[in-house]
Amino acid sequence: MVFNSFNFVGFIIPILIVYWIFFKKSKVSQNILLLVSSLVFYAWADWRFLILLLISILLNYYLGKKISNTTNETIQRHFLYIGLIFNIGLLLYFKYFNFFYEGFVEILNVFGASASYNTLSILLPLGISFFSFQTLGYLIDIYNEETEPSNNLLEFSVFVSYFPKILSGPIERASKMMPQIQEKRNFTYPVFVDGLRQILWGLFAKIVIAENCAAIANPIFNDYGNQSGSVLLLGTFFYAIQLYADFSGYSNMAIGISKLFGIQLMRNFSTPFFSTNISDFWRKWHISLTTWMMDYVFTPLSFSLRSYQKKGLIISIIATFVLVGFWHGANWTFVFYGLLHGIYFIPLVYSGKMNTSEIVAKGKLLPSFVELIKMILLFILIMLTDVFFRTHNVSEAFDYIFLIFSNNIFSIPTEIFSSNYLITTALLFLFIAVEWLHREKSHDFEISHYPFILRWICYIVLYLLILIFGKSAETFIYFQF
Amino acid sequence: METLTIKENISDVLKSILGHNNFEMHDELTAKDVDGWDSLSHMMIITKIEEAFNIKFKLRDLNKLKNMGSLVSVIQSKI
Repeated sequence: MVFNSFNFVGFIIPILIVYWIFFKKSKVSQNILLLVSSLVFYAWADWRFLILLLISILLNYYLGKKISNTTNETIQRHFLYIGLIFNIGLLLYFKYFNFFYEGFVEILNVFGASASYNTLSILLPLGISFFSFQTLGYLIDIYNEETEPSNNLLEFSVFVSYFPKILSGPIERASKMMPQIQEKRNFTYPVFVDGLRQILWGLFAKIVIAENCAAIANPIFNDYGNQSGSVLLLGTFFYAIQLYADFSGYSNMAIGISKLFGIQLMRNFSTPFFSTNISDFWRKWHISLTTWMMDYVFTPLSFSLRSYQKKGLIISIIATFVLVGFWHGANWTFVFYGLLHGIYFIPLVYSGKMNTSEIVAKGKLLPSFVELIKMILLFILIMLTDVFFRTHNVSEAFDYIFLIFSNNIFSIPTEIFSSNYLITTALLFLFIAVEWLHREKSHDFEISHYPFILRWICYIVLYLLILIFGKSAETFIYFQF
Repeated sequence: METLTIKENISDVLKSILGHNNFEMHDELTAKDVDGWDSLSHMMIITKIEEAFNIKFKLRDLNKLKNMGSLVSVIQSKI
């Protein structure tokens, strides 16, 4: 059940009514309702793994308490290790087993053993990369004494399974989300309306922008061998926008839906393409994953390598980004994607410009010429790297990029004069303009400060654009992760 | 060591890593308030502090650092 479906609307409206009308006085009944809805939602997506989710909730709840109940550091560490083995083990088994198994057999073959293999047909439980990272973070935070363990199984179950975020994030932190579940939620009109606004914008990004870009990019990627360099370049451009609009649109819907229940999830995208260097970009792209990696991978790693100074820093950055890439799936393309992004950091480390992260052209209407050039160059770099994200294997990605530069890159593609290109481009201008205007706001469509008439014009225009240009979509790119 | 001396030494470290001293030393000062002090430069600052005071931090110590006051008290507990 995707957010942009009538099933979901039919699912959520009765829950909202019961939540705010009948259960508004009791935190416990609000939480029971959220838990039951979340389990139904998850079972609807894939009932076979409901048991797995429940086991994960129970075990992590128990381990969290065990870690904090003792002051003996060795015992604490043992319970943490059990949690790490369980949560990482789940991921390794369901997501990466065949990848390592194939690699292992191939290594055997290199050494002369003629091993053959039958990969197991393992189904990937939906959302596993998201909820196991969330429970991992929970246990590590308790071990580091950064957060208190939950003493209420109901509240903890809501924290893990909460339906707006279970399938595709944001990856929440206990310190931010638990306190909200521990209190009774009160209905506030501005928050509710802001949630609806954010859902509307997410819907526009997903079914208008992402789907129209996909309609252009897919045929190009599927038949890249027979395209000219300039068309291939267009393919990467539209794919890069598709990827962003798809996932940021999803995240905006998830955060917006959660606001309807009075729970604030963390921001996941903060207009990442308005960045002037790669470090700035990664502070704004899939923020819940990158901050997770920062806290639990980069920090410990760079701490242990700190005596190597800048070299230690670079190794830590590259290792972290390889892991960021690999998190997306068991494919070398993702490893390469992460590796390349890690390498892009090297000049920044040496120039000492790593730390410049700020809103581009803050308080101004337009960026300066230099800022504009930097943003465009950075976008081109990211767009070309996204080819690794899209293709099925690494050699295909290199082929694709090689063909861009070797096969008539300067020819003018006739496709650009077709109506779907022109319409998509016009919609893109609108999309980019709105994001640019709200880059300093708490989300991309925070227009509460607009006059009443203007706000309603915006809603109606978006609604009409969705009706006219929206394409139905069954899934989101990030569901596969 | 006096709190004041510790703060002076920390201030020197920050200056040498970040290349500026546009900050005021007080207990509530956090990394966010200081230009350029982020998760990436943090490790370099920590290493320099370890050298300056001849101490070794544990990873858990770092997680407890919330502001300048807590940094000073962690350092004090180690020398």
